[in-house]
Amino acid sequence: MSLRSIRLAALILGVLGVGVTLFFHWLVFFWVSTEATLGVVQRIFYLHVASAWVAFLAFGIVALCSAVYLWLGDEKLDQAARSAAEGGMVFTTIVLIAGSLWARISWGIWWTWDPRLTLTLLLWFIYLGHFMVRNATESPERGKKFAAVVGLVGALNIPLIHVSVLWFRSLHPQPVVARTDGPQLPSDMITVLFVALFAFTLVFFSLFLLRYAVARLEERAAWPTAPTST
Amino acid sequence: MKGYLRQVWAVAGKDLRVEWRTRERFASMASFVVLSGILFNYAIERSVVQPGQIASGLIWMILVFAGLLGLGRTFELEKEEGAIQGLLVAPVPRDAIYLGKVLANAVLLGTVVILTVFVIAFFFQVDLTANAGSLAVVLAVGTLGFVALGTLFSGITAGTRMGETLLPVLLFPLLVPLIVFGANATALLLAFPGVDVGGNLRILTAFTLGGLVAGVGLFRYIVED
Repeated sequence: MSLRSIRLAALILGVLGVGVTLFFHWLVFFWVSTEATLGVVQRIFYLHVASAWVAFLAFGIVALCSAVYLWLGDEKLDQAARSAAEGGMVFTTIVLIAGSLWARISWGIWWTWDPRLTLTLLLWFIYLGHFMVRNATESPERGKKFAAVVGLVGALNIPLIHVSVLWFRSLHPQPVVARTDGPQLPSDMITVLFVALFAFTLVFFSLFLLRYAVARLEERAAWPTAPTST
Repeated sequence: MKGYLRQVWAVAGKDLRVEWRTRERFASMASFVVLSGILFNYAIERSVVQPGQIASGLIWMILVFAGLLGLGRTFELEKEEGAIQGLLVAPVPRDAIYLGKVLANAVLLGTVVILTVFVIAFFFQVDLTANAGSLAVVLAVGTLGFVALGTLFSGITAGTRMGETLLPVLLFPLLVPLIVFGANATALLLAFPGVDVGGNLRILTAFTLGGLVAGVGLFRYIVED
C-alpha cells in the first residue's frame, strides 16, 4: 500500500471514528437507561470497557507484529508494532484514569489491589519498558529486536490478566457480555457498548495508520538515498 | 540430547568457575542479604508489626533485589575484551548458552536464597522446621523462575546504554505472578504446619516453565550483532 493511500485510509477512518464517538457520547448521556444499583456513574462503563478492548487489541497487534518481525526481520512490521504500542498506551492510560474515577464513586476508593486493575497498570509499565529499551541502544537494529522481545513477552501477560478475574476473588464483575449462555446486559446497554467499541476501534486504527505513515516518512528522511519501496 | 546437555554444562561450568575463583558476585550478594536483614530490623517498628510476621515478604523481596544485583552482572563480564564474541562463535546453539547462563545463575542465586532464609530465621526468630521440604521446593521453583526471565532480560539490558538500571523496569512487571504465588505459599508454609500449597506451586511451576520457554525461544534474537 502506498503512503498516500495509507494516509487517505487514516483520514477516512478518523473522520468516521470521531463521528461515531460523538454519537456514542450522545447515546451515553441522553439515550441509554440508567443502571439500577450503580446509578449514573455506571455510564463511564462504556468508555472504560471500549478503551480496555482497544488497549488489548493494540497489544495483540504489538505481539503479533513483534513475533513476525523477529521471524522475518521486515522493518515495516517493527514500525507497525511501535505504532500500535503507542496507540495502545494511550488507551491503557484512558482505561486506568476512567477506572480510577469510577472506582472512587462506586467503591469509595481511587485504587484497589484488584488483580485485573493491577495487571492493567503493569501492562502499562511493560510497554513503557518497550519504548525505553528501544531508545536506549546504540544501534537502532538491536533496539528494534529488544523492543520486539519485550513486547512479545509482555503480551504473554494479557491472557493472565483476563484469566485472573476468574481465578482470584475480585471486585470486578464476572464477564457480562462474552458468556457461553449469552450476554446478561439489558439490550440498550449492549447496543451502546457495541457502538462504543466500534467508535474506539475506528479511532485507534486511524491513529495507528497515521503513526505508521509518520514512521515510514521518518525512515525516508533518515536515508534519503534508500529506494522508496512503497 | 547428551551432547546438548554437555554444551549447557560447559557454559554453566565456565560461569561457575569464574564465580568460584573471584567470588565477586557472591560476596556482594551475600553481604547485601545480611545487611538488608539488619536494615529491615530498624526499618520495621516492632510496636506495630513483628518482623517474623512478614518474614515471607522479606525473603521474597531480598531474593528479588539480591537477584537483580547478581543477574545484572551476567553479561557484564562477557562484554569485557569481547568475550561474548568468543562465546557466540563457539559451536554451541544460542539456547544452550542461555540455559547454561540460567543454570549458573540459579546455582548462584539459590545459594544466596538459602542464606537469606537462614538470615531471616536467625534475626527474626522464624521457625523453618514446620514445612522445611515444601518451603525448599517453593523457593527453588521461584528462584528458577526469576532467573529464567532475569537472564533473558539482563541479556537485553547489557546491550543498552542504560545497562542494569533498565532491568527492574523490564523485569518487575513480569514478576508479579511469581511474587503473588511464591510469597503467599511461603507465608502459609511458615505459619501452618502441614498446609497444602499445591495450587500455588503449580502456578509457580507454570510461570517458571513459561519463562524458560520464552528464554530458549527468544534469546537468539538479543545476542546477535
